[in-house]
Parts: sequence; C-alpha cells; structure tokens
Amino acid sequence: MKHFIQRAMPVALGLAALSGAGWAQNVSCGLNNGKAATGEPLPIGAVVGKTGPDDFSSAAGAAAAYFKCVNANGGINGRPVEYIVADDQWNPETATQVASKLVKDRKVLAMAGNTSFVECGANAKMYAQEDVMVIAGVGVPRECFNAKNYAPINSGPRVSGTIAAIYAAKKYGAKKMVCIIPNIPSLGNWACEGPKEWGAKNGVVSETIVIDPGSADATSVMLQAASKKPDVIIMNVPKGILVPMLAAAEQQNLGKKIHFVSSAPAYNIEVPKAIGAYWKNNFDTNLEFQPLEGGGPDNKNWLALMDKYGNKSDPRDTFSQAGYLAARVVTEAMLKLDPKKIDRAAVSNALRAVSGFKSDILCKPFYVGNGNRHNANNSGPMATSTGTAWAIAPGGCMTADDPELADIRADEKKMGIK
Amino acid sequence: MVDLLPFLVSGLGIGAVYALSGVGLVVLYRSSGVLNFAFGALGAIGAYVAWSLLDEDWPQWLAWASAVGTAMVLSLAYGRLLAPRLSHRDPTIRSIGTLGFALIVMGFTEWYWGAQPRRLVLPTDAEALEFADVRLTYTRVLGLALALAMMAGIGLLLSRTRIGLKMRALANDRDLSALLGLRVLQVDTVAWVLSGAFAGVCGLLLANIVRLQATLLTFLVIPAFAAAIMGRLNSLPVTVAAGISIGVLEALAITVPGFAPYRTAVPFLVALAAILFFRSDARKA
Repeated sequence: MKHFIQRAMPVALGLAALSGAGWAQNVSCGLNNGKAATGEPLPIGAVVGKTGPDDFSSAAGAAAAYFKCVNANGGINGRPVEYIVADDQWNPETATQVASKLVKDRKVLAMAGNTSFVECGANAKMYAQEDVMVIAGVGVPRECFNAKNYAPINSGPRVSGTIAAIYAAKKYGAKKMVCIIPNIPSLGNWACEGPKEWGAKNGVVSETIVIDPGSADATSVMLQAASKKPDVIIMNVPKGILVPMLAAAEQQNLGKKIHFVSSAPAYNIEVPKAIGAYWKNNFDTNLEFQPLEGGGPDNKNWLALMDKYGNKSDPRDTFSQAGYLAARVVTEAMLKLDPKKIDRAAVSNALRAVSGFKSDILCKPFYVGNGNRHNANNSGPMATSTGTAWAIAPGGCMTADDPELADIRADEKKMGIK
Repeated sequence: MVDLLPFLVSGLGIGAVYALSGVGLVVLYRSSGVLNFAFGALGAIGAYVAWSLLDEDWPQWLAWASAVGTAMVLSLAYGRLLAPRLSHRDPTIRSIGTLGFALIVMGFTEWYWGAQPRRLVLPTDAEALEFADVRLTYTRVLGLALALAMMAGIGLLLSRTRIGLKMRALANDRDLSALLGLRVLQVDTVAWVLSGAFAGVCGLLLANIVRLQATLLTFLVIPAFAAAIMGRLNSLPVTVAAGISIGVLEALAITVPGFAPYRTAVPFLVALAAILFFRSDARKA
C-alpha cells in the first residue's frame, strides 16, 4: 500500500487541481445512458507486466475504470464487458500461459490495454493465429510495433527518439548527435536507428551508444558520448537510468557544451525535480500523448472517469491515458455491432475498421487498419524542464519522419489518412 | 586511438567506493568470520533515509548521521539478534543468513520508497579537481581518501589494539575465545557496528556517485566482494588496490567495442580470475 501511495501520491498531488475540476465534470463513456448493462457479458482480456522490475498495470487500471463506466451506462448495447487482466510477471513463459488462457479458454473477443515488456514477442504470433486483435496501451519492444494483430496506442521508443532528434535539429541546429540506449533485447539498437536513419536523410549524423543498464558507472558513458563531440545527446533510457546519467553529465558540466533531449520515459512529473535546477531550460523530452494536465475535453474526461470509476491508487500517468484510449477504441468499435451477433471475428473486423478515432489526448486521429504492423501514433509534442516541472514547448505536435515508417505511411495512404 | 585517461580518472571515483566497501567486508570477516551480503542493502536504506531527511530540509550533517546511524542500528540488530544463533553453523550458512537479511532490507526499502526517480546530492559535488578534461568531484576524492584512511585505520585497529586482538581471536575460534573469558557479545557489537558504519558511509557515497536505487545499491556488494576476494578476505591494502582496479577496469571497458554493453561483468571476471589464480597458487605451494 505504501508503495502505491509513494508512487501515486506525487501524481495525484500534481493533478489535484485537475482532479478537482473532474468532480464537477460529467463523465462520458459508451452509450452514456445511465442504465446498468445486464445481458450476457462480453469478455475482453489484457496481459500486463504487474509484478517484476516495474509495475506496468496502470493502462489496464484505466481500461478497467472505463469498462466499469461503460457497464454502468448501457454496456455494449445492453451487454456488459467482463474485463479480465492477467499478470505476466515480466516472464515470457508466463506471458504465453496467461495469454493462452485468455484467448483459448476464456475466449476473449479482443484485448485492450496490454502493457508488457515481454508479451509482444511471446504472444504476437498466437494472437494472429487466433485472430484476436490487441489494442495495447503502451508497447516498448520492437515486436509490439511489428505484429499484424497488435496495435499499441503509444508511439514507442523509436518514434519518440526520432521526434526528439528532429526537435533538437530544429531548435539547436544540431548536426551531430549521439543516441544512448540500453542493451535490452528487442530494444537495443532498434530504438536509436530512428534518429540515425532520419539523420542520414537530413544531413545529421547520429551515432549509437549501447549501454549496460546495470552498470554503476554513468560517468564513463557520458564521457564516451561527449568524446564524440556531439551537438546533442539523445537519451533513450528508462527514467531510473536517466536521472543518474544526467547527474553524471552535470558533474562533468556537459550540459553547458552539449544539448540533452530524451524520448518519452523522461516525461514523469518527478524527473524535473530529481534532475534539478542545472537542467532548467536545458533538457527537453518527447511526449507520446498530449500532456497529463491538458485541458481538452477527452483528457478532462479521462481524469474525471478515473476519479469516479478508477481506484484511488491508480496512477494518473501516460500509461493510464493509453489504457483509457485503448478501452475507448474497443468499446466504440463494439458499439457498432449487433449485440446478438458479437463474436471474435466480428470484433476483430470492427477493430481493423477503426479509422479517424479522435481524442485530444492524441496528436492525430488513431486508426488500426489491416496492415502487417501498426504504429498509428507517430506524433507528439515536446516539453522542456523548468527545474521543477515540464513546460510544453512551442510548436505543438511533431511527426516522426522515420524512414522505417514508410510501410505505415503507405497503409495510411491506402486508408485515405493524411 | 581512444584516449583512455578520462576513463581512468572516472574509474578512480567508483573504484574508491568499491575499495571502501571491500574494507568494510573484510573488517567483519576478520572479526566475526561472516561475509556480509547485507552490506549494500544497509547502505541503501541509509541513503534513502538521508534523502528523505534532506527532502524535509533537515541539516546535511544530521541527514548523513542518520544514514550512518540507520545502517549501524540495523547491522547491530542483526549482529546481536540473529548472527549469534548461527554462530556455530558452517561459515557458508552464516554468510547466507546475511543474504536473507539483505533481501528483507532491500524489499522494505523498495516497498517504502517506491520506484520514483530520486537523486542524492552532496555538497561535495559542487567542486571538483580537473584531470584530463574530467572533473573528479570532491565526493569522489573523499571516497578515495576515506578508502586509504580506513585501510590504515582498520589495519591499525586489528593489529595494534586490544579490541582488534579480541576480534581476531573471536573470528579464529569463538568457543575457545569465550572459554578464555573474552566478552563475545561486546566484541560482536563492535564488529557489527563498525561494519554498519562502513555500510552507511559507502551507501551515501554510492547513492550519490552511482544512483539512489535500492536493488542496484544492494547488489553493488558484488564488486566489493571481488575486491575482498582479491585480498583473500584478509589483506586490506590488496583489497583497496583491487577495489580501485575493478572500478578503473569497468570504466576502461567502455572503450572496448562489443564488450562495453556487458561491462558489469568486470567484477565477476576479476573475482573468477582471482579464484583461479589463487587455486593454482595454492597447488604450487
């Protein structure tokens, strides 16, 4: 409990004003008719990495809150959603077992809000074979963005790092960059190849440094990066590693010679305070979604819905935004179906038909489509540290011009998406 | 040609704290015969206590004292309450007992403070000496100075003082020492409190130089073990030299293409090499 409080309290306090506003706001979800659903339940699953190195269940928590709201407001044309969340414990073998149970035994119609470091690689093939569509909350490894039936709501570390590089080139006129990435399987070089390939087409040289995330020696990493004389260092590392690396850079006073930017993991309300005043106006990060405190109606609805239907301990973070959106996508797709004829094939087809899904949490409308892989979210804003908080950078959403997205762009063209 | 000098200087800082940790391990081993796996976990919880107090705007010296005090109290608690119950067991079991204690302390620290990113800033970070374009902060210089001072101080304590003699006697034969009238609990208290103090100081330095993260700090005991093994769990000067060497080698490993992403293996490789070397050395003898 204390752990939860420690993690959730800063977020909750940070968003207190918005939560207050949430009480006054009407919550909107599903049919929004105030009638409790009573028919035969519709099973929807999720696989999350809850227990393990980190708790990745925030997206499923938000999706659960959304489905609770849907069930209290007419369900899916009268039928309630039965949302079943399984913990893969960050173990690929467990991920396969729990996903098989959900898909083959519990016969889930679709998955919503999945967030796991291991399950994309372990289960993507099975999801395709069983024709189950997954509208994931947050995907991290490469496999999450390279599967036919797996569509994450977030943009992923490669796109996020590429946007950070584009921003740095624009803001600082950078011509030489170094991208730092941990040697995690399926993440490794891939996430830094985005800035590199974009750079090759735009006259920017980007070198990659793959680091051992368990190493105690952040200073040597920073010295190695600095020895390449870059204009910008792109940090593509988890926040737990980011903070000591920036501390090492500060001790070497590198922030005065080199600009530092980061992919989305840095966007956490504790980070600006943890890295301190040295990085004030000197450290920028990409966001995979619009800011947590965004004033758009859907963002406000997310916060109000979490207050009314979520657990108090559920973090109000970017993962939660993603889970909320995943549940919304699945709900709105199923609402288009005849409630008597809802089966897995119908739901999968309805999800593949999702296009032009709008939310002010996203920079661009979300879609799923019939492509061999999915990376619909490939835009995001940037924010700069003020020393104690994040300030959204002027210019709004930026789109990743990553050459790897060529097939995604071709799919978008086919679907008539600009 | 890669300029190795900056990495050498950078490795000195971390190596100094490995050395200091190694001295802390050897002290307890030489005085009680226990290899303390909880050394890192005690340092970690002390560092978190310091962070919390500094976050509440407590004076620096009080936060540091509380960190060291926390580690000392927990170390003493284990040394007085649990360690004596294992004192007649095999040395391996006595050491594994501390591993259990380490996991409990680490689990509590993770649970209580959570995973939010934190940073422990010390006033000694503000100033630095410059060598080869590398800034060696005073925190690192302090670590280096402490490692050397403690090596000398503990060496003198063990070899020249009465309590040192008692500690060595206890480690050698606990029952015989008790029969000869040695006050076992008093000596145990000194040994565990001393080990806790080392853990507290090392925790503060490592949380600053490395990162404030309970799991990482707990398992940073491994490079310290490697250093202590190099010193055959006996020689303080060799332990200090080995700790510094491990830190420097780990830093230099970043310049080796292909090996850099796996450089945390350096302490293990050093420990393995040491064990192999000592085995063949023993056979020759």
